[in-house]
Amino acid sequence: MTKNKFSLRRAVNNMNLVRFRFWFQIVAFALIVYGGYIGLDLGDKLPTFACVFNSEGTGGKCYVGELQHDLKHPLEGFVGFAGYAFLISLGMFAVWFWVLNKGWCGFVCPLGTMQDWLTMAREKTKIRYSEYSWANRGKIKSIKYILLILLLLLPVMIANSVFGLPKLPNGLSMPFCDICPGRMMIPAFTGDFNQFYIDFSSKTDIVMTTIGMIMTGLFLVGSFIKKRFFCYFCPMAALQYVFSKPALLKLYKDGSKCTKCGDCYRACDMDILEIADDVTSKNLVTEDCTLCLKCVAACPEDGCLEANFMGATIFESTKEGFLVRMAMDQNKENHAH
Amino acid sequence: MHTEHTIETSAERQNRHKAMEAIAVLNSLKEDFKSPIRSMGYFYDLFEKVYCHHQPLHEGKAKIGTMCIQIPSEIIYALDAVPIRLCNGFYTDDEIGGDLLPQKSCPLVKATVGWFASDNFSDKPDITFSPTTCDQKTKAGAIIESFGHTVIDVGFPRTKESEESCHYWRESVKSFAVKLSKFQGKKLTRSNLESAIKKVGYAQSLYHKLTEFRKNKAVPILGVDMFLVTNAFFFDKIDEWISAVEKLVSELEQRANDGVNVAGKASPRIVYTGSPPIFPNYKIPLIIEQSDAIIVADETCSSNRMFNDMVAVDEWNLYDMIDSVSDKYLKACTCPIFTQNDDRIRRIIQLVRSYNGDGVIYQAFAGCQVYEMEQRSVLAAMEREGIPILYIESDYSPSQHGQLTTRVEAFIESLKNRKRMKK
Ligand code: SF4
Ligand code: SF4
Ligand code: SF4
Ligand code: SF4
Ligand code: SF4
Repeated sequence: MTKNKFSLRRAVNNMNLVRFRFWFQIVAFALIVYGGYIGLDLGDKLPTFACVFNSEGTGGKCYVGELQHDLKHPLEGFVGFAGYAFLISLGMFAVWFWVLNKGWCGFVCPLGTMQDWLTMAREKTKIRYSEYSWANRGKIKSIKYILLILLLLLPVMIANSVFGLPKLPNGLSMPFCDICPGRMMIPAFTGDFNQFYIDFSSKTDIVMTTIGMIMTGLFLVGSFIKKRFFCYFCPMAALQYVFSKPALLKLYKDGSKCTKCGDCYRACDMDILEIADDVTSKNLVTEDCTLCLKCVAACPEDGCLEANFMGATIFESTKEGFLVRMAMDQNKENHAH
Repeated sequence: MHTEHTIETSAERQNRHKAMEAIAVLNSLKEDFKSPIRSMGYFYDLFEKVYCHHQPLHEGKAKIGTMCIQIPSEIIYALDAVPIRLCNGFYTDDEIGGDLLPQKSCPLVKATVGWFASDNFSDKPDITFSPTTCDQKTKAGAIIESFGHTVIDVGFPRTKESEESCHYWRESVKSFAVKLSKFQGKKLTRSNLESAIKKVGYAQSLYHKLTEFRKNKAVPILGVDMFLVTNAFFFDKIDEWISAVEKLVSELEQRANDGVNVAGKASPRIVYTGSPPIFPNYKIPLIIEQSDAIIVADETCSSNRMFNDMVAVDEWNLYDMIDSVSDKYLKACTCPIFTQNDDRIRRIIQLVRSYNGDGVIYQAFAGCQVYEMEQRSVLAAMEREGIPILYIESDYSPSQHGQLTTRVEAFIESLKNRKRMKK
């Protein structure tokens, strides 16, 4: 018990995750949203919403945007060299993604970070968060896949006549970008509000850009009252999850140590029931998980949950860490902030 | 010589009998074992004060009776009252209650009812909250009410996996908080609830520190002493309990460094589960530890279950704190009143593994139906895991002592043999 009192591992396990994430997210946000001004360019296959419409500031580019662009080609083009090029892009996306796994969502994505800021604002106003019923929580899981399929299919259908259907109008060339809140919100942070418009050039454009405006409104209101509101529907998360299994960063659980107390579930912004109730799986990176690690920080059982990088534990739940984070490690008379 | 003859009132007789029961157990704790712990003195004195001399501890404070562990003490402390858990272990009271309840009722419930029937408390609860846990506790609430006490039912679901249960219980806890807040004429606020959660959390952390020493090869504290310490939390002043346990922790730390062992080198390590041993009904734990075994962990609602699981708050605002508190009392609970109880089985196995247990002793009160009914599934699970287990039924009466001792001794002997074979 008294052994290795000052070890690094202990310091890490006792860390204040909320604060660590807060600062990490700010740095990541700055690099992604403003990195371009200092010449940062991480390429255009990033597994996170580094919005292409933030053309000057962005420190890299969002692969979902790129993907729609890539797919808008005649199908014949995918045979041969272009096909390889496409696969290579996808592969590069996967490689980026494998480093952090869903951690891109919990620690890097600017849209995710914005939602967390809105949550903080709500918390300050002492308004309770809302929750989905468990049944609806289950149902909405599929929406992100539907969005993903649409954003893959629509560009193909502009360039090709699929199943003999007429080609789609060009206004749908970046269908998801049209409705993505990132298109308006991210450039706004560099003072560029030009994306807040409705495009009257064609009927499709009017419809799509109007939906886009609505989506941004929903994004702001939704994530104020519901933690990570947008992430529940995010097609990026769906695309990522396809590649999640071989990723290097993992969230592991040792079910035999779990008391099913539910503390992790309470902390989880994505309301993932399995994190508490699944006591048989080892890999707990589920489809909606953002690898924010809040569950690890909230678990009071030694070694029950852990963040693991290439087989090495980097942060794990401990009784002591729990007590420190909950300020229960000392008897203070007055805890009021 | 002049002797005064006074006729003993029934309350005096009850107190005398209870004092006899109490002192017998306390003496046995103090004298029957080697290497006594200095800082246990606080607890021996506390029980003697309360149960032999009937001294009140909480004069001037509102005392809130609770029938089971599910009434959140955090909320009671936040509203500046003291929780008094009314689970009772006295045979004297059990006999009184026996006249008022069906013959085959649980002795714990009988004793609690008997206590109220005789209305003889050193710290009488001003109001009692009764969670609807097992049938007998639930019905006991109404009986106690008929004696003229204020008893308020707090609806408790008997499944814990479902969403409906979770919401139902959150609502129950909110309404409990509202009622208590009215009763106390005090508002539940963010700051008083936050301090109470952290204080109870700190008390729990001390319990966790104590249990950590029991993982050692040389166990520095007896299981019966641990039961006494956790039992004191039922009624003691929380701050005094905390400082007494802080002292105990540092003494155990010293003892652990010195390698003090309260048991023998080959003493089998027992994980205790089942109906809660409540002072002075330490019959089975005492038999176990007097028969050269040591209780290293337990899964009972008078000890481990009360302290093990912690409240975790994500947003330190009132809404989230109340929900966190509710969730903890439902989701983490391994009380046998739930329909399914895999969690209890997993907890027992985990305790055996992490405390290096040699066997499990499962005790059910005769009449405690839920523990009796869960016996089969637990026994089957232990068999699957290759963990030896002894199931015994007992009540509060001193009569079966000999027979129980024989069974426990035989089990411990078999564990010793098993240990030897393994070597
Ligand atoms: S609009 Fe959205 S999907 Fe499109 S590039 Fe920007 S962040 Fe990516
Ligand atoms: S789910 Fe989508 S919006 Fe949410 S953090 Fe991940 S990539 Fe960003
Ligand atoms: S917090 Fe830990 S022990 Fe509790 S349910 Fe979650 S994983 Fe299990
Ligand atoms: S499961 Fe854990 S890591 Fe994943 S989103 Fe929930 S809290 Fe974050
Ligand atoms: S086992 Fe459950 S019902 Fe019985 S006394 Fe304990 S908490 Fe109450």
